[in-house]
Amino acid sequence: MVKHITQEKINLYAEASGDFNPIHVDESFAAKTPFGGTIAHGMLNLAYVSEMMTSAFGRSWVSGGKLRAKFKESARPGDTLTITGKIDCIEQRSDVSYANCSFECRNQRGETIVAGEAIVRLSSGKE
Amino acid sequence: MPDKTVSYEELAAGHKFPPATYELNASFVSKYLRAVDSSGDGFVPPLAIAACAIATMTKLIPLPPGTIAIHASQELEFLKLVPIGTTIECHIGVAQKIARGKMSMLILELEVFDKGKEKVQSGRATIALPT
Repeated sequence: MVKHITQEKINLYAEASGDFNPIHVDESFAAKTPFGGTIAHGMLNLAYVSEMMTSAFGRSWVSGGKLRAKFKESARPGDTLTITGKIDCIEQRSDVSYANCSFECRNQRGETIVAGEAIVRLSSGKE
Repeated sequence: MPDKTVSYEELAAGHKFPPATYELNASFVSKYLRAVDSSGDGFVPPLAIAACAIATMTKLIPLPPGTIAIHASQELEFLKLVPIGTTIECHIGVAQKIARGKMSMLILELEVFDKGKEKVQSGRATIALPT
């Protein structure tokens, strides 16, 4: 999955979420910080990961998924993010199968923006 | 609005912030989906719910003036499908407060309930605060 970050999308995300931290939306404030400019909300980047997981696993993800993510770098307006994931193993616990996955979100320079692991409950032998 | 009952220095493990309520109506979901460039599947995306919880945190934490909070990591567990139109209540508490050299870390626990008091989501956020 590929997503383009723009200031407009960051502003839209701020409006939708109510998170108006100036580091995301105030370009003159952000320019004076160590970031040197605005950055996307970490949760916006993570939303792309969740969208990928929803595409792959559907309702098993939205009502039974678990994730653990580290925000390693900031995404900035103008960045192109590529979100990838893979199933590392299928685990059987009692009657239930779980997919243990890993995911990454990288920018156009190959820098990791978000990385983490996810677990999705796949099925029960009784279902 | 920050929790006026406590300063950042006074924040300690076990502190609970006042809960915040959100109505996840069609207008909210539509705005969220446009922001994340997605089409949606007829229910509230789990990260839209998490976004409300994180926004609650950013509003409630009484940060020292001039501090930039950095969202360092996030854990989430999605427990229940949430239909559009659901009202949720976000509960945020301090799990740990760590000072490491010039960095302070807040580990916050979040729980989100629907109107029937069923837990729909839980998680843990690590916020780094350069001092």
